[in-house]
Amino acid sequence: MTPEALAAAARDRLPGARCESASGSVTLEVSPAGWRDALRCARDELDCDFFDWLTAVDEGERGFTVVVHVYSLAGRHHLLVRTQVSRSSPALASVTGIYRGADWHEREAHEMFGVVFDGHPNLAPLLLPEGFDGHPLRKDFVLAPRVDKEWPGGREPGEGEDRPARRRLRPPGIPEEWGPR
Amino acid sequence: MTAEAEGRVYNVGGQDWDEIVAAADEMADSPGEERLVINMGPQHPSTHGVLRLVLTLDGETVTELRPVIGYLHTGIEKNMEFRTWTQGVTFCTRMDYLSPLFNETAYCLAVERLLGIEAEVPRRANVLRVLMMELNRISSHLMAVGTFGMELGATTVFLYGLREREKVLDLFELISGLRMNHAYVRPGGVSQDLPPGALERIREFLTVMPGQLAEIRALLDANALYIARTKNVAHLDLSGCMALGITGPILRATGLPWDLRKSQPYCGYQTYEFDVPTVDSCDVYGRYLVRMAEMDESLKIIEQCVDRLAAKRPAHDPVMINDPKIGWPAQLALGPDGLGNSPAHIAHIMSQSMEALIHHFKLVTEGFRVPPGQVYAAVESPRGELGCHAVSDGGTRPYRVHFRDPSFTNLQSVAAMSEGGLIADVIAAVASIDPVMGGVDR
Repeated sequence: MTPEALAAAARDRLPGARCESASGSVTLEVSPAGWRDALRCARDELDCDFFDWLTAVDEGERGFTVVVHVYSLAGRHHLLVRTQVSRSSPALASVTGIYRGADWHEREAHEMFGVVFDGHPNLAPLLLPEGFDGHPLRKDFVLAPRVDKEWPGGREPGEGEDRPARRRLRPPGIPEEWGPR
Repeated sequence: MTAEAEGRVYNVGGQDWDEIVAAADEMADSPGEERLVINMGPQHPSTHGVLRLVLTLDGETVTELRPVIGYLHTGIEKNMEFRTWTQGVTFCTRMDYLSPLFNETAYCLAVERLLGIEAEVPRRANVLRVLMMELNRISSHLMAVGTFGMELGATTVFLYGLREREKVLDLFELISGLRMNHAYVRPGGVSQDLPPGALERIREFLTVMPGQLAEIRALLDANALYIARTKNVAHLDLSGCMALGITGPILRATGLPWDLRKSQPYCGYQTYEFDVPTVDSCDVYGRYLVRMAEMDESLKIIEQCVDRLAAKRPAHDPVMINDPKIGWPAQLALGPDGLGNSPAHIAHIMSQSMEALIHHFKLVTEGFRVPPGQVYAAVESPRGELGCHAVSDGGTRPYRVHFRDPSFTNLQSVAAMSEGGLIADVIAAVASIDPVMGGVDR
C-alpha cells in the first residue's frame, strides 16, 4: 500500500483522527480515548500486524506524546500512531492485549515518563533499580551527574582552593543553585 | 534474597554441599515441594553480559522464566538531549557495542532526514558507510557464533570466532582509528576518508575470510553434539515473531526474507547485489545457519564496495556533505606525523579571517540547528531492525532521541522460547537471540 492509500484508508476508518502523510511516512493522531480502537483498527483493518516500538516524548506544558510504530510486512507500509496525555494525570489504555510486544515498551515509557498504562499486566520498573525516585526522561528531571565536581588542586601556581580563578559555566540543563560555586 | 522470599533460600557459596544435598533429600520426601526458583545471572558466563534470568523449575523443566534487565542502563537517551547533534554520535555508538557502526548510521540517517539532506550525502560517504556496516556485521556475527559455541561447550569455535573478529577490528582501527565506539559516521557523511593502503588490506581480508568461515562451519554444521543441542530447540514461529516485534536472524529463521536493506533501502543498498538468506526451521540451528550465510553475503557486498572505492575518482569526491553550515570546515583528522592535516585551514582561521574563526568556533562548540519535527529511520543491524526516533524543537541539541534496539525487543521472546523446555535449552535460546545488554538497557 502506498502512503497515500494508507492515509486515505486510515481517514476512512477513523474519522476522529488527524492523519498526515509526509515524505513517505503516515502519522495518525488520535485522542487518548480512541487509542485502543485506533491500534486495533491498525492491526485488523490496515493490516499493520507487526509491532515495532512504543515510546513517549515530554512536551512540557502540553503533557506527553505517546508514539507507536507498526508495520505491515506483507504490504510494506508503516504507520506512526500518536496521542497526547495530560501532564497532571498521564494515563492511557495499555495495548498489550492487541500487540503482545508492547509489554516492555510500555514498562519503559512508564518508568521513564510516569505514563500509566491501564490494563498492563505488570507495570513494574524495567531498567531502573528498585526504589528509584522520579522519571528520568522527563524534562524537569535534572541530569545530576553533569554537575561536575571541582578539581581539588590548583591548576596554576598560586591558585587557591577557596577562590575560583575564572567564571564557572554551568552545563546546560543544570539549575542555577546546583553544583559547586 | 529478599525478606518476602517464599520457601527456603539456599545460597550456594562453596563448602556447603552437604547441607544442600541433605535439604534435597528432605524435599524429595515431601511431595508438592519440588518447585525450585533459580537465579541465573547477572554475572553468569552464558548470559551475554549482565542479563539476569529468574527461572522456576519443575525438575529440569522450566515452567516460568522472567528476564531481569537494566544492569547496564546508562541513560544514553537522556544524555544525548544535552549534547549537540554531532556529539550524539559519540553516545549512541556505545549502546550496542558489538555493532557500533549501525547505531551511528541509524542516528545519522534520522538527523539527515530531519535536516532534509538525505539526497545530498556524498556518494563516497554512502559507500564507506555500507563498507563499514558490512564489516561490522561480520565481526558481530563472529562474536555471536563464537560465544554461541562456547556456551554450548565448544571452546574452539569461540577461539576461531574471536581470532577472525580481530581481523575486522584491525581494519576498523586502520580506517577509523578505533577498534570500537568509532563515532565514524557523522550527520552529513563520515568523519574521514580511507587512509592509504586500506583497500589493499580489505582485499587481503576478502581473500582470507571465506576459508576461515568454512573452518567454523566445518566444526559446527554437521557436529552431532551441536545439532542435538540446537535442532528443534527454542522454537518461535512467524506469528510469535510478528506479535512480539522480533526481527533479524530469528525472523529470517522462520522463512520470511524480511531485511530492511531490501524492503526499504538506505545508503544505496538497492545498488548492491546480495541475497537475504532464510531457513524455515524456526529453531536455534536455523538462526545459526542464517548468521553464517549472512556473513558470506556481507563479503559479497564488501567486495562491491571495494570495487567502487578503487574506481577512478572524480576530481571532487568528498566524504562529507558540501554544506558549510553542517559539515565541519576541514577534515580535522590527525595525520601520521602526529600533526593536523589542515594547515591551510588553520592558517586561514588563525591569521586571515575573523569571520571564518567565528564560524568554525560556533559550528564546533554550539553545533548546527535542526528544523523542528520528528522522524524515524531504521537500519538492518546484525540483530535486526535498529531504529532511531528523533524529535527536534529547532535547537542545536536533540529534544528527544529514542532508539528501537533489536536486542531489547528480541529479548522479550526468551520466555516464549524457553518455557516448557529444559533448563539446558535456556542457554541455547539466549545465545540464539544474541542480545547485547548495552543495547537492551541503553
